[in-house]
Amino acid sequence: MQSAWRWLLVISLSASGSQANANDWNMPVGVTDISADIFGLHMTIFWVCVVIGLVVFGAMFYSLFRYRHSKGAKAANFHEHTSVEVLWTAIPVLILVGMAVPATATLKNMYDSSDAELDVMITGQQWRWRYEYLGEDVAFNSNMSTPRTQISGAETRGEHYLLEVDEPLVLPINRKVRFLMTSDDVIHSWWVPDLAVKQDTIPGFINENWVKINEPGIYRGQCTELCGVNHGFMPVVVHAMEEEEFEGWLAKRKEAAAEEAMGVDREWGMEELAERGESVYQAICSSCHQAEGQGSPPAFPALANNQQLIEDVDWHLDKVINGVSGAAMPAFRSTLNPVEIAAVVTYTRNAWGNDTGDVVQPSEVAELIAQ
Amino acid sequence: MWSVVKSVLAALLGVQSNQKRQEDFSSGKPAAYIVTGIVITLLFVLVLIVLATFAAR
Repeated sequence: MQSAWRWLLVISLSASGSQANANDWNMPVGVTDISADIFGLHMTIFWVCVVIGLVVFGAMFYSLFRYRHSKGAKAANFHEHTSVEVLWTAIPVLILVGMAVPATATLKNMYDSSDAELDVMITGQQWRWRYEYLGEDVAFNSNMSTPRTQISGAETRGEHYLLEVDEPLVLPINRKVRFLMTSDDVIHSWWVPDLAVKQDTIPGFINENWVKINEPGIYRGQCTELCGVNHGFMPVVVHAMEEEEFEGWLAKRKEAAAEEAMGVDREWGMEELAERGESVYQAICSSCHQAEGQGSPPAFPALANNQQLIEDVDWHLDKVINGVSGAAMPAFRSTLNPVEIAAVVTYTRNAWGNDTGDVVQPSEVAELIAQ
Repeated sequence: MWSVVKSVLAALLGVQSNQKRQEDFSSGKPAAYIVTGIVITLLFVLVLIVLATFAAR
């Protein structure tokens, strides 16, 4: 049925002389049962509209031509015709109800997130996504990985320009996964066309959605609710894998998380912290404070040669951990772990001419967060 | 009474014959049409609620 619709569309497009593939114009069929249902509904309603259009405009053009004035046609002068009026009211009602019934059935199915086998919390932040596998102790931020040089035009654009991230959301196929979706700051919207999920993430609310992916693969999407200056730079990438592969990935991530937790207690050296800090800085901080810490005043202050930052390490830590209320600086106490915060603070205190020589230990940060 | 109900139903659908309209406007009180209209609208909403509850089972 669905493939028949698609072929009809292909034929109608090529018949009109267009060389374009129908898939370039149409919405994707996607890789879940729901997305296929939605595609089917879309095509059914599309063809209903085509038939209505042909009948209505056909009748109109036929009448215009057949009963034209030059052939001596006389206009009929009547005020009303109750049975025709009832007919043209009843037919649209039947068509609308006929479309509403399957659409409502699909909608009901879309909202039924019960019996999920895996819960993933999705949090929108300016400007990245955070994924948390509930009950699994695995959580990470997913930042865009397209280099700034490609955006500025200094380098040619890659294949997945603006649609690539450092860490994709990894999901198993053939398993019902429930998404709990919220936001830390403003309204974002998590959208992956192939999964037929497009859900607003709203601060203070938790929205639900779910997927059961049928085919392994990499599916890309974007934030689709204007959320600030870097709205275009927070893509979504979902990596769907076979269940066994997923279990292996999850176990590895759990191990890494446990190792990271142990790392809080040990003494860290300046070099390893600065190295780790640089990658955290580039992923999280540089979108506002810029790659060289020069900032973008007045909204985003410079960090390089910032006297207050250089003189007061407690002030610096407080701003990173608790944010600045009323300003764009978010609190990173729950987004970054103590090791990452210690690393990025150590890095910024010793980069771009900020030669304080300070080393902030993860254990100190953990204490500050616990307060 | 039945003619009032028929007129209200026709109004809900948005289709009424001119002859019937003339009759309605020459005889009958407005209050009867208003009350019948409110009652039928409430009945319609009730039917929708029952249908929705039934469908949500």
